[in-house]
Amino acid sequence: MKFRRIYILWALTALFLVGLIFYPRLVNLQPYWVLVGMTALFYAILASSWSLLAGYTGQFSFAHMAFMGLGTYAAGILIRDMGFAPWQATIGGVLITGVVGLIIGYLCLRLRAVYLALFTIAFAEIFRLVVKAEVKFTGGPNGLELPTYTFPGWLQNLLRTIVPFWDANVYIPAYYTMAFLFVAALLFMFLLVRSRFGIFFRAVREDEEAAAALGVHVVNTRVLAFVVSSMIAGFAGIVFHHFIGLIVPDQMQIGRMSLIIAMAVIGGSQNLIGAALGAIFIHFSLEWLQQIPLPTAVLQHLLFLNDWGFSVDLHAGVLRTNAWRMVGFGLLLMLTLRFWQNGLISPIIDWLARREAVESVAQRFQAERDMDAVDDVQAIGSQAEAGNPQEPTS
Amino acid sequence: MWPLPDVLLHAMHFHMWLDALFKFQITGTYIVRLILEGLLIGVIYALMALGLTLIFSVLNIVSFAHGEFYMIGGYVVYAILHHYKGFPGLLAIVVAALVTFVIGAVFERLFLQPMAKGQVERPSEYAILITFGLSFFLQFVMLGIMGPFPKKAPRFWSFPKIDLGFIRTTKTTLFLGNIPLSGGRIFAAIIALLALAAVLWFMYRTWTGWALQAVSQDRNAAAVVGINPLNMNTLAFGMGAMLAGLAGAVLVTVFSWVPWVGVPASAKSFVIIVLGGMGSIPGSLVGGLILGVVESLGTGLFPDPARAQAYRDVFGLVIFALVLWLKPTGLFGRKL
Amino acid sequence: MSQNGTIRLEVRNVVKNFGGLQALAGVSFTIEGPQLVGLIGPNGAGKTTLTNIITGLLKPTKGEVWFNGRRIDPLRPYHIARLGIGRTFQVTRAFRRMTVLENMLAPGLVKHPYMSRKELEKKALEIMKFLTIDHLRYEMGSNLSGGQQKLLELARLLMLEPDLIILDEPFAGVHPKLQRTIYGYIQRVRGEGKAIILISHDMESIFTLSERLIVLNFGEVIADGPPEVVKEDPQVIEAYLGRDDEEDLI
Repeated sequence: MKFRRIYILWALTALFLVGLIFYPRLVNLQPYWVLVGMTALFYAILASSWSLLAGYTGQFSFAHMAFMGLGTYAAGILIRDMGFAPWQATIGGVLITGVVGLIIGYLCLRLRAVYLALFTIAFAEIFRLVVKAEVKFTGGPNGLELPTYTFPGWLQNLLRTIVPFWDANVYIPAYYTMAFLFVAALLFMFLLVRSRFGIFFRAVREDEEAAAALGVHVVNTRVLAFVVSSMIAGFAGIVFHHFIGLIVPDQMQIGRMSLIIAMAVIGGSQNLIGAALGAIFIHFSLEWLQQIPLPTAVLQHLLFLNDWGFSVDLHAGVLRTNAWRMVGFGLLLMLTLRFWQNGLISPIIDWLARREAVESVAQRFQAERDMDAVDDVQAIGSQAEAGNPQEPTS
Repeated sequence: MWPLPDVLLHAMHFHMWLDALFKFQITGTYIVRLILEGLLIGVIYALMALGLTLIFSVLNIVSFAHGEFYMIGGYVVYAILHHYKGFPGLLAIVVAALVTFVIGAVFERLFLQPMAKGQVERPSEYAILITFGLSFFLQFVMLGIMGPFPKKAPRFWSFPKIDLGFIRTTKTTLFLGNIPLSGGRIFAAIIALLALAAVLWFMYRTWTGWALQAVSQDRNAAAVVGINPLNMNTLAFGMGAMLAGLAGAVLVTVFSWVPWVGVPASAKSFVIIVLGGMGSIPGSLVGGLILGVVESLGTGLFPDPARAQAYRDVFGLVIFALVLWLKPTGLFGRKL
Repeated sequence: MSQNGTIRLEVRNVVKNFGGLQALAGVSFTIEGPQLVGLIGPNGAGKTTLTNIITGLLKPTKGEVWFNGRRIDPLRPYHIARLGIGRTFQVTRAFRRMTVLENMLAPGLVKHPYMSRKELEKKALEIMKFLTIDHLRYEMGSNLSGGQQKLLELARLLMLEPDLIILDEPFAGVHPKLQRTIYGYIQRVRGEGKAIILISHDMESIFTLSERLIVLNFGEVIADGPPEVVKEDPQVIEAYLGRDDEEDLI
């Protein structure tokens, strides 16, 4: 059998899945690192669903985190005030997110590129501020508590037999639930973009008028992408925060949103998988960098900050090391945008997955230069001539 | 009973607003005071939005990092005044303007110029993301340098003692009749007015200003008559950043400063430029004043004072969403 | 094709104003059955405006457009496209970040949402082969030359299987050899019993290809009839030859 590059891709996918399953073992079941893994998967779902919206349909929404929060708050309030069980609230929350996503998606239809970005920023900020202000209803800045899921007994037993270290720490069930959601969400979105809707998404992104002239239902296509991606974001948010136990409005601030966007862009927002891998990669590198104590004092001397009278107290020092980590990350984002606009991971996946072009670009230019010598074009011309006497004889 | 959000309850029970109106706190004087306060802050909003308008009309992009220049402008003034006691405040403001101008111009050269030269695919997407990336970067740089705790620059001015009956001053406050106005805001508004006048003079009365306008109207025609559009881009972005920096520099003595203070500031400038019409200079001036007054009235008249401050930014954003949705060209807009 | 097998496009007294400028001042005509209608007129005569109104990108200020017994002017562009009016654009608009094959699949999937991908690809390849772009099938749209993009646009249009095709300047800026391919394409489409509206500045081809000519000038139909007759029409000669800085007539 002939070797094709796509086999490498299959092998890597298998490797990744195996890694995903055995990750808690790889980190020796340390609760902190299991939590990190779970959070990374949460960000990966958000980044890849954002890329479905931005990369595939070209709608640069900044309200993705707001939808995540909306779903979570909806679920939390359903549990607190309506007496829903967590799993019922999860479904309810996702549905509410879908309905709001539908409304916002319709409102955004008329808006192009930068106006859509502005509108969604406004929506996200209004939502966050209202949540923060309505203390009685949402818990305000202190957040809303969510109970964690309880698995039914038979499932619990089943999972215990499959995963021997299921009860090793509280984050193991959370990690596996998140991993399951991650695989399911990615698979769903992958199938969606492989279906006809995927082609419509990209056609609308490339040229809305031309797509409409070819019969693509532009309204449905754009709204569908909006609803699906916000529902997935809501779903991920609900599940994640059920395990964390608390959601605060600041989870939805623009800063978090930019983190998601940065992850998707660095991974490559034109590709779901690239965005997801970008998020995982970046979350892990940020966590890993946190393990390395940055020499804050040295840095401050280098920047003459001490001369400027900013003494370092310990707490601030820790925060500042975090900040410098993010600075590097921001710089990476800008450089990626400038020099590798398709992201760092997507081009590799695309290269592995692409079928060989029948004719390379270089060959095509050669062919165009030799146009006069190409006969099949003329053959068709004369064919047509034979069919119709009106053909001009130029 | 389904627990309605209190916002909705308030909207439904609007008699609460009427009650408040007829009770002691809301009087004509109170409303006049709110309007005056709104106008004072509105001048500064207008200054910021003018910067964004300048950037939009010349480069045809919206800078999502506008608030971060505001933040940096404030921090520069704070750092100077904090370190050199007795440094003249006005000079510090000028330094802040220069610093933000340089940062803006350098960013434009490095990251936006390739776009103007057509070296970047999907320019509209790139413009959104790269300015967003810049805002991310600058926020964390300032967090790294300044730390997360709120800072407030010392006051470096005081009113002369005046008593003209109707107009009286104390060291920090101006009284119009019995309406007290915060001196810090008056001072900031005066500086902002001066800066606005200077910018308008520059735009309408100097060759370079005309060149900027020419480029904003027709890049190619401007290039034909010998204006280098690339240099004008750099100038416009630098000036836009500088105006935001100035707004921050004059407000740092009024508000306390954290690295993410620029986020609501950006949002406000977006509201104004959309309200006034993208790329319209008079639109951004009027829009700034409108936003200032709306915010002030909305906050001051909100029935529940405990939540009023929390809703401060919401009023503008609601206007924004409505304008974007109903009349995307804004009040003075030229075209989409 | 419509239920009763005929194609009927009726433009009734269409007026379009842009602010104070009148682009179309009451245009009416009817196209019935599979004919090739040439739509010509000097620059700014309103040809592209008319095309945009028929395909729903613009709404007429006044007047109606009917297609196969259905009023289409209030409909959205994609609805009109699904009813069977396909068009190309004056400036080529290939989907740049999609492969040529995906470009072809977009309208194909609109028309046949549940057809298997293999069958659809086969169909697309057949059309691409005819237009000599099949060797580019995995190439990105942005990698094509201008002429190839034009061919792609024509090919993509056939995937929608429209009854009426509006070709806006198909010959503009195309290599002469490719022009012959496009001639072949037009013949083929006519052979399939579709109606074509051809907009072109290339008088030579339009006079030889079309069975009927509609001449627009200043937003009005100044002549309508067989090419031989229209050629002799004094108003048309006036419109084209009256000012010698205008287009070249044969």
